[in-house]
Amino acid sequence: MTKIVIDPLTRIEGHLRIEVEVENGKVVDAHVIGTMYRGIEAMLRGRDPRDATYVTERVCGVCAGSHGWASSMALDKAFGASVPAGGRIIRNLIIGAMFLHDHPLHFYHLSALDYLDIMAVAQYQGKDPGLLAVKEKVVKLVAAGDTAPLTPRYKPDEFSVTDPELVTMAVGHYLKALEMQAKAKKMSALFAGKQPHQSSIVVGGVTMLPNIEVVEHFRSMLLEQLDFIEKTYLQDVLTFGTGPLLPLAQTGVGGGSPHYMSYGGFARDNAGKDLFFKSGLIADGNLSNIVAIDEKKITEDVQYSWYKASANGKTPYTEDTIPDLAKQGAYTFVKAPRYDGKPIEVGPLARMLIMQPKGFMDIIAKYNIKPGAVARHAARAYETLLLVKDMFTWLDALEKEMGSKDFRIHDTDHWEAPATGQGAGMTEVPRGALGHFIKVAGHKIENYQMVVPTTWNFSPRDDLGVRGPVEQALIGVPVPDLENPINIVRVVRSYDPCLACAIHLINPVTNDVQKFQIGW
Amino acid sequence: MGNFDLLKVKGVSRRDFMKLIAATTAALGLPELFVPQAANALEQALKKPPVIWLEGMDCTGCTESAIATLNPSPAELILDMLSIRYHETIMAGSGNKSEEAYQEALKEKYILIVEGAIPSKEDRFCMVGGKPFRKILIEAAQKAQAIIAIGSCASEGAGIPGACATGAVGVGEILKAEGISTPLINLPCCPVKPTTLIGTLLYYLTYQKVPALDSQKRPVAFYGTLLHDNCPRRGHFEHGEFLKDWNDPIQKQYCLLLKGCKGPKTYTDCAQVWWNDNTNFCINAGSPCSGCSEKSFYKEFSPLYAKQENFDIPGLGPINADTVGPVIGGAAAVGLGIHLVATVASGRLKKDHKEGL
Repeated sequence: MTKIVIDPLTRIEGHLRIEVEVENGKVVDAHVIGTMYRGIEAMLRGRDPRDATYVTERVCGVCAGSHGWASSMALDKAFGASVPAGGRIIRNLIIGAMFLHDHPLHFYHLSALDYLDIMAVAQYQGKDPGLLAVKEKVVKLVAAGDTAPLTPRYKPDEFSVTDPELVTMAVGHYLKALEMQAKAKKMSALFAGKQPHQSSIVVGGVTMLPNIEVVEHFRSMLLEQLDFIEKTYLQDVLTFGTGPLLPLAQTGVGGGSPHYMSYGGFARDNAGKDLFFKSGLIADGNLSNIVAIDEKKITEDVQYSWYKASANGKTPYTEDTIPDLAKQGAYTFVKAPRYDGKPIEVGPLARMLIMQPKGFMDIIAKYNIKPGAVARHAARAYETLLLVKDMFTWLDALEKEMGSKDFRIHDTDHWEAPATGQGAGMTEVPRGALGHFIKVAGHKIENYQMVVPTTWNFSPRDDLGVRGPVEQALIGVPVPDLENPINIVRVVRSYDPCLACAIHLINPVTNDVQKFQIGW
Repeated sequence: MGNFDLLKVKGVSRRDFMKLIAATTAALGLPELFVPQAANALEQALKKPPVIWLEGMDCTGCTESAIATLNPSPAELILDMLSIRYHETIMAGSGNKSEEAYQEALKEKYILIVEGAIPSKEDRFCMVGGKPFRKILIEAAQKAQAIIAIGSCASEGAGIPGACATGAVGVGEILKAEGISTPLINLPCCPVKPTTLIGTLLYYLTYQKVPALDSQKRPVAFYGTLLHDNCPRRGHFEHGEFLKDWNDPIQKQYCLLLKGCKGPKTYTDCAQVWWNDNTNFCINAGSPCSGCSEKSFYKEFSPLYAKQENFDIPGLGPINADTVGPVIGGAAAVGLGIHLVATVASGRLKKDHKEGL
């Protein structure tokens, strides 16, 4: 048995260390370890509750807006605020634009380099002027002896795409996607003030009273995104997923937990009944039985986390967050969230399996794709297309609201913090189900907890010793060459990890890998 | 191969390049006379300077902000302008491959960009590659030709992490503690403004020296003016018109002081150079300034959304927001007194700030 440590695992958000045991060319055990702790939740205690939307927004600068959004929903409930339609739709547009930013960026800039033999570009023999320009660019970088940051890298393997035409096209799209992600942030900023780290979303609604020019500017930029997502992004994912990567897709490498959850998100009515992303839970892979979610069944374990056992219970409203660096047997400060005691996968694959849109289910069935790394990319791309199309109807709804005499964006009557209150903001953000939980006492924050998508997916073992979803997904992953653990990073990155979000993290010990094994 | 040829093969046209230089030179307040010189110097520099980009206790928001630029494009920034040898979020390699790239880069004359804060109390709060981030930073800082600390977390005061119990500090505090004399430029804001970062890089590459800095080591070119003095809503402040209801189209452009705006204490060019390709900025979106370019952010500026009980403007003494009076909607001015106070305040402030530089 050989131990492989990958640290830092790059092209993710935050700091992540992966340790796996490999036997006979396959992973037999895995630990995922976050290596940073900022302590933002604890810092919020005792502060003006309205600060929470601004401060938690800064938890993550990639899924910018997500935490501010979830926080505002938790505060809305605690304050008793009812967000007017204008505020609700503008919030949705701000975050929707960031989905269009996050998903292609994840595919092209964070993941694609794991699947492409980028140097194959030099072999391109075609005559397409666009592709020739890409070839020229890469060849000149090579000639100048400076290919950073595209190298150094893991060696391409049997799953890597090596066809010069396909690779050259993909590199061209990598460059195009760089421009599109900047434009998506610009769209979001039209309503949000700026991106990353919008400032428009506050308790009770938003601060930006729009005019029609801003709405139409957003619409014209949305058209450009639709074109890119439909004809380039989704097309590329399908070309690769049903082409060179089909063996990886059909064997379901990186499958993981059979339990999936989505809180539902993007309300299209004020009552919150008509959600774009459906809410529900799948247990044991049974796609024909989607059950309703009960917030009370969410708990967090800390047996293997560098955390003091909470004296105040395990639910997000009550639990403590007190680091304990000396705790025996612990290996990470990611807490272990469980639903009804189960580890749960959240994110685009969970959302699509719960929503079951026909186009997506048809692709899965036609190519016999199993849940795993490739399926996650496909789900992510497919939901981006569904979302960008739906966003046009949100703009229509906003314009209709703007035409009414009492167009409102904010519940000004509930701006001051109440003496007491509590609330949960549970929604879907690019990486999955996000929950913010607040308790207010004496007009101040008494407790604040975030249970974030990456905490669900990158959870450690729970109190019963059951591995978290990614730890499960790594079991059985082929590592034919111990010097080149490329499949491991493919599986890990398919979850789009955001370790700065999963902020209960800490790397406990030292360089000494052996020490990690004591007490496991 | 001449250096401009090298530029060309990287896909940068001379026209684009000159446009960028002209814009940057203007932003830095240099006469146009400097443009050809700057272009020339940059062509020389465009063997692409090696860059090591470290991330500590961060959220990757500054990286995301840097690639939010549209002019130059993000591809020009990360592939053409700079040779980014180490950057965890964009580099191909992981684990030993990224370590390999890092060790190679350390041998060169690199610029060090730092994003995120550094835990000063407990090294284990931020570990990379099994090593304390603090120690990685110290090694890289000693060998760098210059250091650019980007965003509030890496700058003095350490932004939001600075308010947490981890003892988070900015790069400057570490350099001071370790006696490291490598030139440091702080570019606070949450996240860093892409225009500020690119402008500073171009200036440094052009003149091979750090631009004029203020007492917080921020380039005066970008942080030399008080937001309040340049605020598009300043007229409403002086007329005592303060926003109370975000739904009211009449109040839409009113001053945000009662919503907690920190503009009167914040030095930044946000009002002149907007974000995301000049699309918007907090105040234009109706959001009070949080003061994120100041070392007092966030700890001393909380609560963010409450009117300042004591607005202690230097040289004037406290302005209590209550003395500003309640807003009665419409254009009701609440008194000539406030107008005068504000004018005096701005005059004094400018004077004091200049003296402080």
